Amino acid sequence: MKQKNIDNIIALSNDLRWQIGDEFHDNLAEGIYADAAEIVKVSVHKPNGDNRLRLDAKIDKIITSKTWGFPLMFLILAVVLWLTIVGANYPSSMLAELLLNTIHPALKGYASALGLPWWLDGFLIDGVYMAVAWVIAVMLPPMAIFFPLFTLLEDFGYLPRVAFNLDHLFKLSGAHGKQALTMSMGFGCNAAGVVATRIIDSPRERLIAIITNNFSLCNGRWPTQILIATIFIGATVPASFAGIASLGAVIGVAVLGICFMFLTSWALSKTVLKGEVSTFNLELPPYRPPRFWKTIYTSIIDRTLIVLWRAIVFAAPAGAVIWLISNIHVGDLSIAAWMIDSFDGFAFLFGLNGVILVAYIVAIPANEIVIPTILMLTVLVTGISGGAGAGVMFELDSANATGEILRAGGWTLLTAVNLMLFSLLHNPCSTTIYTIYKETKSVKWTVVASILPVILGFVVTFLVAQVWRLFA
Amino acid sequence: MEVKPKSACDSCAHFNAAGLKKLGVDTSSFDHVIALAGNPNTGKSTVFNALTGLRQHTGNWPGKTVTRAEGGFEYNNEKYKLVDLPGTYSLLSTSEDEEVARNFILFGKPTVTVIVVDASRLERNLNLVLQILEITDRAVLCLNLMDEAKRNDIEINTRTLARDLGIPVVPASARYNEGIPELIQTISEVANGTIVCKPHRIKNIPKNIEKAVEDLSVEILKEYPDMPNSRWIAFRLLEGDQHIINLLQTGEFEEYIS
Amino acid sequence: MNTYDPLLALLVFLGICLLGFLFFRPNNGWFWLINKGSQSTDKIIVEDILKRLYHNENAGKYLNINDIVRTLKQSDKMVIDSIDNMATLGLVRISGDVVKLTKSGSDYALRIIRAHRLWERYLADKTGFNKTEWHQRAERKEHELSMDETNLLAHKLGNPQFDPHGDPIPTITGKMAELKGVPVSELKTHTIGRIIHIKDKPDIIYKQIMAENIHIGSIIRVVEKSPERIVFHSEGEAFKLAPIMAGNITVSILEKNISYEEDILRLNILKENEKAKIIGISKEIRGESRRRLLDLGFVKGANVSIDLLNPLGEPKAYLIKGTSIALRNDQASKILIKK
Repeated sequence: MKQKNIDNIIALSNDLRWQIGDEFHDNLAEGIYADAAEIVKVSVHKPNGDNRLRLDAKIDKIITSKTWGFPLMFLILAVVLWLTIVGANYPSSMLAELLLNTIHPALKGYASALGLPWWLDGFLIDGVYMAVAWVIAVMLPPMAIFFPLFTLLEDFGYLPRVAFNLDHLFKLSGAHGKQALTMSMGFGCNAAGVVATRIIDSPRERLIAIITNNFSLCNGRWPTQILIATIFIGATVPASFAGIASLGAVIGVAVLGICFMFLTSWALSKTVLKGEVSTFNLELPPYRPPRFWKTIYTSIIDRTLIVLWRAIVFAAPAGAVIWLISNIHVGDLSIAAWMIDSFDGFAFLFGLNGVILVAYIVAIPANEIVIPTILMLTVLVTGISGGAGAGVMFELDSANATGEILRAGGWTLLTAVNLMLFSLLHNPCSTTIYTIYKETKSVKWTVVASILPVILGFVVTFLVAQVWRLFA
Repeated sequence: MEVKPKSACDSCAHFNAAGLKKLGVDTSSFDHVIALAGNPNTGKSTVFNALTGLRQHTGNWPGKTVTRAEGGFEYNNEKYKLVDLPGTYSLLSTSEDEEVARNFILFGKPTVTVIVVDASRLERNLNLVLQILEITDRAVLCLNLMDEAKRNDIEINTRTLARDLGIPVVPASARYNEGIPELIQTISEVANGTIVCKPHRIKNIPKNIEKAVEDLSVEILKEYPDMPNSRWIAFRLLEGDQHIINLLQTGEFEEYIS
Repeated sequence: MNTYDPLLALLVFLGICLLGFLFFRPNNGWFWLINKGSQSTDKIIVEDILKRLYHNENAGKYLNINDIVRTLKQSDKMVIDSIDNMATLGLVRISGDVVKLTKSGSDYALRIIRAHRLWERYLADKTGFNKTEWHQRAERKEHELSMDETNLLAHKLGNPQFDPHGDPIPTITGKMAELKGVPVSELKTHTIGRIIHIKDKPDIIYKQIMAENIHIGSIIRVVEKSPERIVFHSEGEAFKLAPIMAGNITVSILEKNISYEEDILRLNILKENEKAKIIGISKEIRGESRRRLLDLGFVKGANVSIDLLNPLGEPKAYLIKGTSIALRNDQASKILIKK
């Protein structure tokens, strides 16, 4: 009886819906707004009509003007990046001094005083602790500067205007203007950039923004780019121009990343994603003075620490693996050496070497530990002096000393260029991959987002290597 | 009209500051569930933080809270659990945010739904308010960002507004903690039945649709005589909401409304 | 590494790219061809013939075997075999040379049409595919959907009455909403009408009409008619069409006393400092996009003006119900206003 009644209700609703036709939603929406207008007419008195505050309108006129809009935007982005990179140097080296040069030896001392077996001590302190310490030292300061600055701009209401100004460029590649922001966020951290895509409410454009976020050079990769450019690119020109040349190379790589972002966005929107629903709307909220300290506090808690925590969770096992593969021996070679040997031929095709590929495989969890891993592995296989022992990642104070080790490992200018390219174009770190999965809840898109950049990376480095060898 | 129009000072007197305790994320046991709904960019999260003492990030950016946040406060020895719903412009569409908000108000059985609106953009915000009033009859309108409205010289008569909407209206500036005590007091009065709401129902609908809604609503009431929002269910059925249809067919609907 | 040569490596790479392209290029890639070949072609031919017959009989024309063979791409023999087969199955009757649908044949045809139009509706409402792709995709999908799947689809879409081109969708029982209209090519000058249907076949003409930005639901007024061309005004723009194009657009004629609002314009041509009232959103905006616009306040009667121009031209921000909302030009062109 009950079921029959319910079937009746559903049948009746189907029937009525068919009779009303397509207009239902329109009519309902119009009806609600008509009611709203009546209510507002009685209770609200607006002497200025619908016009916005004069100050707001004035700010908007400047921010979105043809003359000032773009220069202002680049200026603000440049200042934010400059403050982040330069400002992070000092606390970063302090943290490194504390965590790597003070606490690490102290821990080693305790361990030997306690009489821990060498393998446990190595595994825990040289492996796990070092990886975590490295990630914190490199990652925390820039993020603690970048995210609050970004959040202040966001709370003030500037970021939606950036999306507004740039939307046309993004539309040409089938993306949403708000991708400009998720992309900029990616310059700080790709995982945070992927979370930020929540502001894009159109399914197709959101997926595009998620998949292409990895093309923004994140702060785990900036130091790699800067170091390698200083050592190899700077050396190709007279010393007085070295600084400018290496800076130009780093900016070039970042811009190349933006180009790849546009290109991939366009290709995705024309192929695999063309069936996804696409809508567009962008609300430009009124300007509100941000509450400075509160913003700083919440952005550090909400963004920086959460991302840092995730990175640590992923870096710890990576440190363990790195230590294990360089200390477990099969025959007379360590696993790491075996891997490097077998990858060497393959890597040669791409103008890289086995060390780099192994480093990228074991350092999936965090881009920050790629260079220390490369140095450690290079020392391991070449047998030159330096470093702190098998499985102990290290970095050197001077770029020159680092360069010597790398050159001894067989690095050429081509290796350096291709490493910079590969650092831009390779799979996202595992924190980001995990975040992509959480945001899309789809294995398919997670796989696409992870594999696509590696394929591009291999293609690009392959082409560069062949052309280089043909002409050089 | 059962609604007592409340002006700010009228409720100050009743507000019992000593009875308030902000509980943060502790929502272990509670007497009332309060849903917090509103358009994006109306300072909803600020109201949430002011009520719970939490510090959720509140961006000046539409669509910030995507997941549901929860928090709590205690007032006059009663514990309130506060659920911050995603900010939406409407409850009529199929996007994930709207589904979360819609289903919580309809099936989460909140004792009171607090609707946060931007006082200087009231007309646009009423779109959502009127939809929510079709679903629930225990609601409080929090007229937030009153400071901005004042800067724009916008005057709002909260008395007539409360009369027309049939729910209490509390002006507030959550950023500066203004109006929050009054809001808490009003929430508790609605929760305890001291204030009885008589919410506005949507009127300006074409005749053919009004008739269809009525016919359907009569049928629904035959089956579920105690349903308070049969009209909303009729709206959803006419819209073809698969979620509701499935619930009806599997009989789970009953559990939700009882 | 002794066999390594950068040139050779490059050539091998180019070879792989070429192969990949040949396999997966759109439409004619080998991969797609193989995929297509594996579908049962018999069923497709039968259903295509039924559809042809149904549409022609509806227009009062009967086809003979030759006509059918000519209009289908498959080999003559396959088509003729299929027609014989259909006769044995009782889907068609062959009297002399003329092929006629039986009752069960016409029911079958209606099922295919239902599947086709529902799928177009699905593509329009629930996906982001461009409207020029709908017909082709539905042509493939109509053969794949079973009856249960079709009904489930209809159910999920809320049993719509019309497909996105304005064609009625048959119900399960074969009932169709009536469509009373006149092709634009047959209208007299000064007639006012509302576009209710745009034919999606043949493809070339449909794409031309789409390129002209003509929408279903627009109100038009014919201002000039000659054997070479038909000119009508709609939404602040003048459209000049060849009769063959105009013949594919159907309008329902509106009563003369419904005053035609000559000053209905599209939002994208609104200038700074001008004020306007919204008349409605064109039917071209569907599904989620339409709902979003309505939710944002782009409803009949709302006041709208330009809030901000964009340094790159678009999107522009419009002030609507006290908030600044940016829309791209292709969206704004589908919102109708009156100054």
